[in-house]
Amino acid sequence: MNTQEKLLTRNPRADMLVDLVELASGILLVGFLWTHMLFVAAILLGVTTFDRLSAFLDEYYLSYIGIPFILLVALVHIVVAGRRIPNKWKEQRIILRHSKMLGHTDTWIWVFQTITGMAILVLAGIHVWMVLTGWPIRAVTSAGRIQSFLWFYIILLLAGEYHAGFGLYRQFVKWGWINRHTIGAVLKTITVIIVALGAVTLWAFMRLGGAQ
Amino acid sequence: MAERLLTFSIFRYNPNTPEIKPYMQEYKLEEMPGMTLFVALNKIREEQDPSLMFDFVCRAAICGSCAMLVNGKPRLACKTLTKDLPSRITLLPLPVFKLIGDLSVDTGTWFRHMSLKTEAWIHTTREFDPRAREERMDNETALKIYEAERCIECGCCIAGCATANIREDFLGAAGINRVARFMLDPRDERSPQEYFEVVGTEEGAFGCVGLMACEDNCPMGLPLQMQLAYVRRKMAAAGLAARPQTRAC
Repeated sequence: MNTQEKLLTRNPRADMLVDLVELASGILLVGFLWTHMLFVAAILLGVTTFDRLSAFLDEYYLSYIGIPFILLVALVHIVVAGRRIPNKWKEQRIILRHSKMLGHTDTWIWVFQTITGMAILVLAGIHVWMVLTGWPIRAVTSAGRIQSFLWFYIILLLAGEYHAGFGLYRQFVKWGWINRHTIGAVLKTITVIIVALGAVTLWAFMRLGGAQ
Repeated sequence: MAERLLTFSIFRYNPNTPEIKPYMQEYKLEEMPGMTLFVALNKIREEQDPSLMFDFVCRAAICGSCAMLVNGKPRLACKTLTKDLPSRITLLPLPVFKLIGDLSVDTGTWFRHMSLKTEAWIHTTREFDPRAREERMDNETALKIYEAERCIECGCCIAGCATANIREDFLGAAGINRVARFMLDPRDERSPQEYFEVVGTEEGAFGCVGLMACEDNCPMGLPLQMQLAYVRRKMAAAGLAARPQTRAC
């Protein structure tokens, strides 16, 4: 960067602020994802409970505040966390070669973090569109969606929880709040529990009559 | 102990003869008890190929000049025993640094640039009085400084870092650890804001993605995660405390 450009565009705090926005948006999204899983798992308590919860969120406008807010947070996260993804062919080649050669678990985890991130962008986009066009959320419509697109939901579940679990792990590593091996084990356990809950929930929806 | 016949596949390229493209050359060598890569490479150079280029000085993991990629991982050749490796050993020069030839790279230029950029010296306004008694430092602080100071500047953390591999201006663990060392030092009078000027950007603390290949590949076992996190936290606190500067235009 030449001197004029540097002088004119310089904001010494920009990189730090972007990094903090990445942290905050990531934490919000992990919080959302885990809550979302618990809400969807309400189906395990029965169709009535699931429908009542959905109606409750609707009635108090929580859905109408929550959904746009989370979409906005997700958009911000795509921009600020996405800046870490190497976007040049040459850089991508270097990273892949480097990861293969180094054989280092954490480096590979991050490579898949960028891949799952991009997969979630597409899959979650489709998911939100499907849910919003089939509004309101009821057990019977959800079951219909899952029965028609089971593989789609299995991939979204795995990609989402992987990205959330390891994303949070990475933040703990970067800020050094807790020993990285301890927090790694804790987050892996949480992720396995959430994925298991997700799998059971999908199974419960598969057993429901569906929209037919 | 049954001696193995080791096969070394070594990267060959000399920037002075660019017409000869880079290639991998194989050497066979009988393993000896307690053999390090330092011993193996010297044997190859003495007995098989005097043109092979690689760096060594101390043989004891102090000088940091013999770092190379051993089967893809950054290691010190003098500290790596062949018995810990499979019988086929691939040796490549460290990436990121300027290649001198074959396995020899110039880490000096990179580290000098880093030292200048981080202003790696004690900043003080106090005048030195040669007749005064030397001031004492408490042991705890001295040990903390020493922990960061143990870095031998071999470049393994830089070679292992994905970010440093694609971003030339990134200071990496060696650079940020260096800053941590001066932050801990009570003799350095730099304010958090002044440190922020040095590492409060993506070239410094906020460029780290947290892959920890630096920590996992450091031959000296430096606690690099905690050093990086310490500087990141300090810099975030300094950045949040600072008022945005008024722009000139």
